[in-house]
Amino acid sequence: MLEIRDLHAYYGAIEGLKGVDIQVADGSITCIIGSNGAGKTTLLKSISNVVTRKGSITWNGQEITGLKPTKIAKLGITHVPEGRQVFPGLTVRENLETGTIGWHGFFGHGRYEEDLDRVFQLFPRLKERENQKGWSLSGGEQQMLAIGRALMARPRLLLLDEPSMGLAPLIIEEMFKKIVEINRVSRLPVLLVEQNASLALEISDYAYVIEQGRISFHGKASELRDDPRIVAAYLGQFAGQKGA
Amino acid sequence: MSMFVSLTINGLAMGMVYALLAMGLVLLVRAVGSLNFAQGDFLMMGAYVSFGYIYMLKMPEIIGVILSVITYAAIGAAFMVSFYWPVRKAKWSQAIMVCTLAASMIFKDAANLIFGTTTKAPSAIMPGSLKIAGLSLQYQYLIIIGVCFFVILGVFTLFEKLYFGRMMEAASQNKYAAELIGIPTILTMAATYMISMTIAGIGGYLVAPIFLVETTLTKLQLRAFAGVVVGGFGSLKGAIYGCILIGLIESYSTYVITTYKDLVVFGALLLTLVIRPQGFFGESIAEKA
Repeated sequence: MLEIRDLHAYYGAIEGLKGVDIQVADGSITCIIGSNGAGKTTLLKSISNVVTRKGSITWNGQEITGLKPTKIAKLGITHVPEGRQVFPGLTVRENLETGTIGWHGFFGHGRYEEDLDRVFQLFPRLKERENQKGWSLSGGEQQMLAIGRALMARPRLLLLDEPSMGLAPLIIEEMFKKIVEINRVSRLPVLLVEQNASLALEISDYAYVIEQGRISFHGKASELRDDPRIVAAYLGQFAGQKGA
Repeated sequence: MSMFVSLTINGLAMGMVYALLAMGLVLLVRAVGSLNFAQGDFLMMGAYVSFGYIYMLKMPEIIGVILSVITYAAIGAAFMVSFYWPVRKAKWSQAIMVCTLAASMIFKDAANLIFGTTTKAPSAIMPGSLKIAGLSLQYQYLIIIGVCFFVILGVFTLFEKLYFGRMMEAASQNKYAAELIGIPTILTMAATYMISMTIAGIGGYLVAPIFLVETTLTKLQLRAFAGVVVGGFGSLKGAIYGCILIGLIESYSTYVITTYKDLVVFGALLLTLVIRPQGFFGESIAEKA
């Protein structure tokens, strides 16, 4: 279980998060919704320790606040960053291989063929593109690759930052089905940050709404879906988009 | 005919030495995003260090070479700590490049201070020449070709085929993503500096008997720059082919005009920039993530 207590994050003098408390239960999908600039991405970056922050983050009881990003990755907290960030000059297969570094080590002898097979089964598209360079993929394929690379790390918690960003509606639906599949198959907990609130609430067990660096609502995703305040603020504007 | 063969051998040997410099240059550009103007000084330091071990401390050649390689790696790491680390977060990203200019001056003066300003002449690794079918080929050039071949092949294999090299490539292409998936980018970067200095240093050791040990050895860097551009900026394969091409052009030009061989080399560079600015052998990796 991931537990965040009173988390503050800073970009220079600007306070991006102003005391956030969040829990991600084992085996669940937890989503964080909110508008642009509310602090969603900052929250994930805080967990991976790539922004200045203070507060307490514990992972299964272990305090991880002071750990370096690479150490946090080694613990199995795998971050799929905003904008995919695949390695442009490496092939799809090589990109996936880089995901194994956390448990494989530079000079290890661990085998990852099975991991590769599993990713290719989940995203057959990547298998077709196996030897293509990362930069030549479409946005959706890059997103699959970024998630696949994270799965190669044998994660114990998956942090997903805006997997729907810049994708066509049909591909977004498919992507979200895959996220549910990943979660159901191995009971892998997922912390999902998403602007597409209606879809995120649909697949999540628990949800937080973040506004200007603070959590304004939280509760079961099914309850938040029907909450008039949420509907007015976040779902109304997306209702048309969902069917589009 | 025999003239042609020996010019080819000489050109190939020098081209491969330029390739050692150029590969290090490309690896560093990819890893830190900035040109290293002390690359030629790496080569010069290599020549001085091995001369120091073998001729000043009078060690047997093989032990001197092994110690030299260890020293090269150490110099590479020290270079990163002193000329990259302090400015890595500088707001003006070219600060890293300017620091390498300073490093170049410091290296030259340090060499003069430690080893004295007189030119040193190590003898050939294997004196004499191979006489075959009416040809006379200096062993030194043949040794250069052999050693460079294995070093180039080794570095190329490391980056293109081995797990460790793959992680280094990944870290150089996207440092942020690399950190997030757990690649310790500081280690991959240190390794890049060490490899870069080591292969340049080996080049210095190899050419020392031909060009003698003095601070002007750094000028070989300009040929490496030319090779990198001709081959295609940013590509390892391009750097290797481009440098060999430059080496051959330089060598053949001495058949016609010895005094103006620089003119021919850099004329070829200019011509490349006019007719094919992206270089001849580079893969076209679009700058898109």
